[in-house]
Amino acid sequence: MKDDLAKRLVQGLKDAGINFVTYLPETRLSQIVPLIRDDAAMELIAAASEHEAVTIAAGATLGGKQGAVYMENTGIYVSSYGLLTIGKQLGVPILLVVGYLGGVPDQRNSFLYSTIGQHTIPMLDGLGIEHQVIEDGERLEAKIKDAVRAANAQRAPFALLFAGEFSE
Amino acid sequence: MIRHECLQLLAARMSDQLVVTSQSGQRIEWSHLAKHEGNLLVGMMGCAIGVATGLALALPHRKVIALDSDGSVLLSLFNLATLGNLQPKNLVIYVFDNGVYSGSRISYPTATAGNTDLAGMARSAGIANAHTVGDIEDFKVKGLDALAQDRLGFFVCKVEESLLHREIPRPDTDLTENKYTFVRYLERTEKKTIPFIGRG
Repeated sequence: MKDDLAKRLVQGLKDAGINFVTYLPETRLSQIVPLIRDDAAMELIAAASEHEAVTIAAGATLGGKQGAVYMENTGIYVSSYGLLTIGKQLGVPILLVVGYLGGVPDQRNSFLYSTIGQHTIPMLDGLGIEHQVIEDGERLEAKIKDAVRAANAQRAPFALLFAGEFSE
Repeated sequence: MIRHECLQLLAARMSDQLVVTSQSGQRIEWSHLAKHEGNLLVGMMGCAIGVATGLALALPHRKVIALDSDGSVLLSLFNLATLGNLQPKNLVIYVFDNGVYSGSRISYPTATAGNTDLAGMARSAGIANAHTVGDIEDFKVKGLDALAQDRLGFFVCKVEESLLHREIPRPDTDLTENKYTFVRYLERTEKKTIPFIGRG
């Protein structure tokens, strides 16, 4: 991902009201981590598991933050229990910022990732979590705002799956 | 010592603390003993400590309490490593460790019935104020004193298996109603709007 795109992604999160981010880093979007860390308007919390990242972000959201989780799409599988019970059943909006490894638009797709990517959207559909694939910077900021608004309206997690230019 | 005794002592100390409960009988016992809008009865194993951590980070001036069980903590051991580094001073965790999967109704042993020492694991993860509490007098000293301290606490309360909760009426509020009661309570006491609630 080019630096400019990383900056726009982080600024887009901030403009959409995100002020609390839990994460486990991955390879496609990792430039956003130092940018968030250095931004006083956002709190960045390192988690040891994506399930934990989801539960901490949910607690912060209930406490008045606008929470997001940054993770690799493998984390969707790891955190599926938390996404279903805390995200969907309790009804807590969380923006999921997901590196979409192994998806068709993943520019670094290989046999290592393709199975993970192939099942990501069916997994989200199975959990009843709405999602959108973002492949380039066109209307990026608007798409992030739309996703946060939808998550809040649905009282549920919403996943943005980043691939294409974000995976270069 | 049984869990209900500890919860009775805790309930008598409640004022404006926020309490997150896990699954198991403690959810039922706590909701019966402490009818408070600051209770979030999460009701799922492996989630309460994470949710309580998020609340503690979002509201660093409020005391947050997590009530959990041995089986639930074993399901989310990664919380220990994260808390060992975050050290939220306003979070106190009570783990009621009866050494069995009591809710399964076959009471098969958990790892803590064997060689596993959750308080020792927590200390190794960086939670210095992690202790095993062996009896009710010990709980009165270590467990209750933690409420007044400005320090992360992790107390593994060794309790006998008790089925008392099966004689207590279950909470009659569903998760959604409980969530909104909790969030409205926060809005009122924090004098701020919780962003996701919004307006219809």
